[in-house]
Amino acid sequence: MKIIASIKERWEVWVWQHTRHCTEILRLASQSLEQPLSFRTRLKMRLHFLICVWCERYDKQLKFLHRACSHASHQDETLPGRGLSAEARQRIVERLKTADNKNL
Amino acid sequence: MDKDSSLTRPADSSPASPGLSDPERWVDLHGDYLFKYALIRLRDPAKAEDAVQETFLAALKGGKSFQGKSAEKSWLVGVLKNKIYDYYRKSSRETSFTDLEFYSDEESERFVPDGLFKDGWIHELGPLEWSSPGASLDSEVFWKTFHDCSNKLPKNVAAVFNLREVDGIESKEICSLLSISENNLWVMLHRARMALRRCLETNWFGKDKEAE
Repeated sequence: MKIIASIKERWEVWVWQHTRHCTEILRLASQSLEQPLSFRTRLKMRLHFLICVWCERYDKQLKFLHRACSHASHQDETLPGRGLSAEARQRIVERLKTADNKNL
Repeated sequence: MDKDSSLTRPADSSPASPGLSDPERWVDLHGDYLFKYALIRLRDPAKAEDAVQETFLAALKGGKSFQGKSAEKSWLVGVLKNKIYDYYRKSSRETSFTDLEFYSDEESERFVPDGLFKDGWIHELGPLEWSSPGASLDSEVFWKTFHDCSNKLPKNVAAVFNLREVDGIESKEICSLLSISENNLWVMLHRARMALRRCLETNWFGKDKEAE
């Protein structure tokens, strides 16, 4: 049992030393949404995920948000409250009517 | 001219006519939607109102008459978008678009400060597993949380985030719109995503049990 634990620890340290640190992985996770990363970089990220479930979750969640955001533009109507106030509506209508009359 | 105008009797020429004029019907039907759309992106009710007003004015000038069709709405949104971009363009000339205050690293306390595992997650503070995130997309409350969270981002960072993620505009286009470098844009997006992820985890995904 002890041997397995020790091998596991060594493996984790080795991967840690041969991949980038978490803060850097997070930056790359975001960058991957802007441009394709090199094969080498992607491989290192995968390797890092083997020892770091937190970065793997972060990467997955960022991809989820990226997809979810394109839905966000369709959700504007369901926002509670915050429509035009009665005064603002009145101001706009007045302004439009003046402009409309000038056009005639 | 067309049969629509023959239906609105000549008596309508007095301002106190019972039927609503085109401008009123426009504002009634599309005003709230356009205003919310602009407010999310501009964060300033007065500016959002201006943008909406200008959008309707552009419609009037273009000789559009009210039809109440859905194509009309997307046309108006298209005009409004351009008004908003004009505003971004103007404000990027007046102030630097990169919000430096935001870059003081608020997440840094979540990482190991020194030693062998320096810059690794402190495990207890690392991202949690999100259970069935896809189901959230249908929840109105989720979207409210989403907008509340994105409202907490600094104004400029939120503008960049909305352009890129919500409107789906390519990086290069945003850079030329706001005259910022690509590198700068990436940093802002990284920070925005990091902050938004954290906020959603705290206020939505971490709260599943309480909500039920």
